[in-house]
Amino acid sequence: MKITDSCVYPYPCGDSSVRRMALEAKNLGFDRLVAADTPSGEFYGIEVCTGIIIRGTPLKDLINRVKRERNREAVVSAEAGDNGFNRAVISLKGVHIIRGIQSAEKTAFDHVAAKMAADNRVAIDLDLSLLLSGRGITRQRAMHRFRDVLTLEQRFEFPLTISSHAHSIMDMRAVREITGLCSLLGMDIPDVEKAFFGVDIIITPPDPAVKVIR
Amino acid sequence: MSTRPPTLREKRRYLLISVEPAGTPVNQKDLYYAVSDATTSLWGDVMAAAIMPAVVAAEGRFVVIRCRRGTERELAIALSTITTCRDLRIALRLVAVSGTIESLRERIRTVKTPVTEDPVPSECTFEKTVFRIHHCDGQKVDVIEKGFKNTNRLFLTREDLEEL
Repeated sequence: MKITDSCVYPYPCGDSSVRRMALEAKNLGFDRLVAADTPSGEFYGIEVCTGIIIRGTPLKDLINRVKRERNREAVVSAEAGDNGFNRAVISLKGVHIIRGIQSAEKTAFDHVAAKMAADNRVAIDLDLSLLLSGRGITRQRAMHRFRDVLTLEQRFEFPLTISSHAHSIMDMRAVREITGLCSLLGMDIPDVEKAFFGVDIIITPPDPAVKVIR
Repeated sequence: MSTRPPTLREKRRYLLISVEPAGTPVNQKDLYYAVSDATTSLWGDVMAAAIMPAVVAAEGRFVVIRCRRGTERELAIALSTITTCRDLRIALRLVAVSGTIESLRERIRTVKTPVTEDPVPSECTFEKTVFRIHHCDGQKVDVIEKGFKNTNRLFLTREDLEEL
């Protein structure tokens, strides 16, 4: 199990090279980064996974894109939409994470979608950049939505991931600081650890329901 | 007004903070406003009054921030939400917490400065653009595009430069 920041944007999306981000992540206590549109590798002892983020596309295009990316060893994420879209995406094989649930409409993620996410091992991402840089009503709304997601998580136990959405090393935060920020959402230390290990849960194939013993 | 005896004074805690990116000139007063704003925004006036944050010293890339004993956790969380200090993008990294400033000064002295292996040239090219090397600290190399159009800082490593 590796402590993972499940979304960073190295150069050219951001202003820091992937190596520099890995070096910073090592100093901050992480073991793995999921870097958007970056080839996977290992730098300074930090594993960097390729992250593919699909946003703003209709469902049909998203299905085609996911099919294309299925053979690559990448963490595939989709931006949340309305409730029907989210349910369709969750049931799609090859999608690992639903992002931006805090920006979607209120009913976008309900108990049915939560049950489906738990069954299909699709994680919901907690984007901490809004807690870090947001102020006032923006941060309050994000916190409210995350608390709502966490209530469903307590009940249905779908995976969670934590991401800083850092475009720069200055947007990255230490594991201890993230634990503190998550405590604002009512998460205790075991909950935060579980969310840090969320990427491990979604990329490892599930145990088969039936085992053939000979 | 005579000072209170030690047993009647409020107990304080001091946080040693490292300011990123390295080499950023930090004005103590501006940083105080940023800390105060972040604390009030996150915890509200009541908790901010209980925390009583104050920037008491700035030494190189380190600053010492004071709070009331028992509120270190709240202050540390508030500090992690600071992204700018008077239009300058910064990040504050918590290094240590102590009951005295003197022990934090001792800590600053013991923080090892990374050994620079090879001399770094004053200029480099990255993605077919010429950059001026702004700061170099061990493996970390910060560069700024040459010229006056784009003065954004890029954060690279020595290995990125060697690849060119």
